[in-house]
Amino acid sequence: MTALLEARALRKSFGGVRAVEGISLAVPERAIFAVIGPNGAGKSTLMNLLSGTYQPDSGELLFAGRQLVGLPAHRRVRLGLARTFQKIRLFKQLTLLDNVLAGFHIHHRIPAWQYLLPAAAFWRDWTRCREEGMALLEFVGLADRAFERAGALAYGQQRMLEIARALATGPKLFMLDEPAAGLNSAEVGFLLQRLIDIRARGITVVVVEHNMDLVMNVADHVFVMDHGEYLFQGKPREVQDNPQVIEAYLGGEFVGGVAA
Amino acid sequence: MSVPVRAADGGAAPRAPVVARRGEGGPVSAVAAALRRPVRWPAYAGALVVIALLPIVLGTPYWRGILVVCAMNVLLAMSLNLVIGYTGQLSLGQSGFFAIGAYVTTVLLKSHGWNFWLAAAAAVLAAGVVGLLLAAFAARLRGHYLGIASLGFAVIVYQVLINWESVTKGVRGIYGIMPPPPVALPGLPEISFGNQAALFYLVAGLALLVYLVLDNLVRSPIGETLRAIREDEISAASLGVDSARWKAFSFGLSAAIAGMAGCFYPGFVGTLVPDAFNIVESFTMLAMVIVGGMGTMIGPVIGAVVLTFLPELLRGFGDLRLMVYGVALTLVVLFMPGGIVQAARALVARRAQGGPRA
Amino acid sequence: MTDLLLLFTQQTINGIYLGCLYVLVALGLTLIYGVMNQINFAHADFVTVGAFAAFFVATRWATKWLGLPDTTGYLLSIVAALGAGALLGLVVNAAVFAPLRNRGDELRPLIATIGVSVLLENGQLALFGPIPFQFDSPFAQHTIRLGRIFFSQQSVLVVIVAALAIGGLYAFMKFTFLGKALRAVSQDRETAGLMGINENFLIALTIVIASALAGMAGALLGPVIVLTPFAGASVIVKAFAIVIIGGFGNMEGTIIAGILVGIIEAFTVQYLGSGVIDLVVFVLLLVMLVVRPTGLIAERREENV
Repeated sequence: MTALLEARALRKSFGGVRAVEGISLAVPERAIFAVIGPNGAGKSTLMNLLSGTYQPDSGELLFAGRQLVGLPAHRRVRLGLARTFQKIRLFKQLTLLDNVLAGFHIHHRIPAWQYLLPAAAFWRDWTRCREEGMALLEFVGLADRAFERAGALAYGQQRMLEIARALATGPKLFMLDEPAAGLNSAEVGFLLQRLIDIRARGITVVVVEHNMDLVMNVADHVFVMDHGEYLFQGKPREVQDNPQVIEAYLGGEFVGGVAA
Repeated sequence: MSVPVRAADGGAAPRAPVVARRGEGGPVSAVAAALRRPVRWPAYAGALVVIALLPIVLGTPYWRGILVVCAMNVLLAMSLNLVIGYTGQLSLGQSGFFAIGAYVTTVLLKSHGWNFWLAAAAAVLAAGVVGLLLAAFAARLRGHYLGIASLGFAVIVYQVLINWESVTKGVRGIYGIMPPPPVALPGLPEISFGNQAALFYLVAGLALLVYLVLDNLVRSPIGETLRAIREDEISAASLGVDSARWKAFSFGLSAAIAGMAGCFYPGFVGTLVPDAFNIVESFTMLAMVIVGGMGTMIGPVIGAVVLTFLPELLRGFGDLRLMVYGVALTLVVLFMPGGIVQAARALVARRAQGGPRA
Repeated sequence: MTDLLLLFTQQTINGIYLGCLYVLVALGLTLIYGVMNQINFAHADFVTVGAFAAFFVATRWATKWLGLPDTTGYLLSIVAALGAGALLGLVVNAAVFAPLRNRGDELRPLIATIGVSVLLENGQLALFGPIPFQFDSPFAQHTIRLGRIFFSQQSVLVVIVAALAIGGLYAFMKFTFLGKALRAVSQDRETAGLMGINENFLIALTIVIASALAGMAGALLGPVIVLTPFAGASVIVKAFAIVIIGGFGNMEGTIIAGILVGIIEAFTVQYLGSGVIDLVVFVLLLVMLVVRPTGLIAERREENV
């Protein structure tokens, strides 16, 4: 397997606090790659480094062989990286459909003049985006609420909408920041199935997660961080049995499922 | 809160999300609703009729003059709404672009002997370019900081108008500015813009054209992009949106439209003094946007009409009329938080839902 | 002392005097912004109301009716302007700010303050007319001489009053429970609830303090500016620039920026002429915003994603 995304010795600190300290990792193509670790392990910072929300202080980041460091977040999207946020960031005043439609931003093929006077190409694009947008909403189980405001959705549904919106960018690599946070067990089950579906469509998935059920059930590879540093990586089973990992979790905060 | 979700075991075979065929991807009615194209030509036809009738209904020179002012205000309010309502950038400097439009036109016309239409085009371009410059600030600043920076921009423009006497004539002003030159269309009598009805048709027609263009724009993917920036820039970036670039687009276009309104102002008034572009003018434009309903196309138009005519209708109050205007403005904000448009929509929705008695 | 150094010192002193006036206006804006994230465009008119209140107290009530000496009358008028500002703040808060709060929207309250501004300006116009009032401070005629440097008693008075006001504000913030709560709110909106203090009360208090400062500034500015119902507007744009340069919501930054702008203005008048003051100040503001978008001494905070 070749690595789709490769990080080498990534470092990031905020005002002297080292959030990510020399992390190297390789995400194989078509994998579901989980990053876990106790609170404050630097997982979210790592996610922000991968997506381009932050730039690293040092280190390298390669996507399909291409250097990502220095490339702002919006440029990385065009290469095929998409993400969701830990603290859900939807366009709350817009409808569900409009949220997803915004995700097609990099995929419009309309001659400039047709923005002023819509003609055939404009309407073709218009129809295609709406059909695909509705299909994406259907995929996350929200098609029947397409015209409601995103802010009106329940928490778990907002997470699913964010996933649909990110998928609209047509990613090769999809990164989810704690997608199961705040979901009930039925919702976690639904999410788990969707992640498998997404991978089945040829999309590589990176998931930063706290929820061990999800990680143990879907991840092919688990990467463990603690205090911004690399701790361990391997198959879910190996991680579960690793004494270092257990100690890191038990020493810090207990997360259900690790000891199980 | 329990959330109704599909069976967790994923009982249904996963559908391909990105390539759906029509009618298959979701509940048919919802997809059909998503694909329904809005029909807008009757509204435009209606607007044309209203524009045609207005100078006839309000037939005195005084009211026709107010109509011209109103059409300019509609242009200004629409331009500001693009930046504030659709892109979510607090701009308090719109009077600066209005001023650039007016002064560039007039100076080219009077001091350099340009043809009016050419001067006007140059002025629109100049305002647009300066708008791009202001957008450089918008790329770095957020919220109130941008508000004050743009206010600062307007103050600078105003001060330049006062101090650059060799070109602008300073506070003494420029006098004897002629209206746009007559236009002779083949087969029709010559149209003279010294006639205020003709000037109104010209400015209002342009405003309608700008409305049409903006209306198309905000319904297009560009509108989706601008709204995404308005709602959350970090989120928009995660979808590939280069917000600095699109803010520049929005500011540039907005400034050009404000500049366009400015082109016609000096010829209409006949004189040009810096005080017409005091920063208070920016606030008035903002008030039009808010009172009408920002982030909607029709809102700023309504706001501009209401706030242009309100002071005229309040003339009976004499010296107190602007005070009443202030009270009215405050009350609208207090009791119609979404502006007139949202208040009207809520009213219609309530009617539709439970009848007038509910 | 060389002439150049002399001129420099003289202009710096003039600048500090001017700066103190600006600080008094700008502090209120910063206070309000810090606590409720709100720009108050009517602040200018609180200054004007203060100036008119002071004018009538100093030139009519205190001197003509009560027969007090000019100087006492003027000192009394400063207190009266403070009271007028506070009262106005109380009313405006109850009528406009309080009902509009917590609607999750920055723009509408902003417009409401513009509405209040229009109302106050035109209300005063109806009452006092457009002709400027001649408001002389009895302290302005007496100059103090230190070597070859001159300054008026009025400027000493202004600096003293500003120092007292700033000192009082700091003491209030530092030593009283309410003041501490106020600081807490301006740093983090949610902590106030934790401290068990009614947020509405704190906000009302902030607006009253801010308006009182503005009113008092009006009394001190009255003799300096052209006293018409629109007088405040000439000061307020500069106050906005100061608040930004100092960093929105940052008191120390505002004080430093205010004095700085005063000094810059004094030197601009000396070397470039009084016509370009606003130009210089606002070009500086824009440059400042490019170089340090969060103000002179505020630290940058990375957005939490």
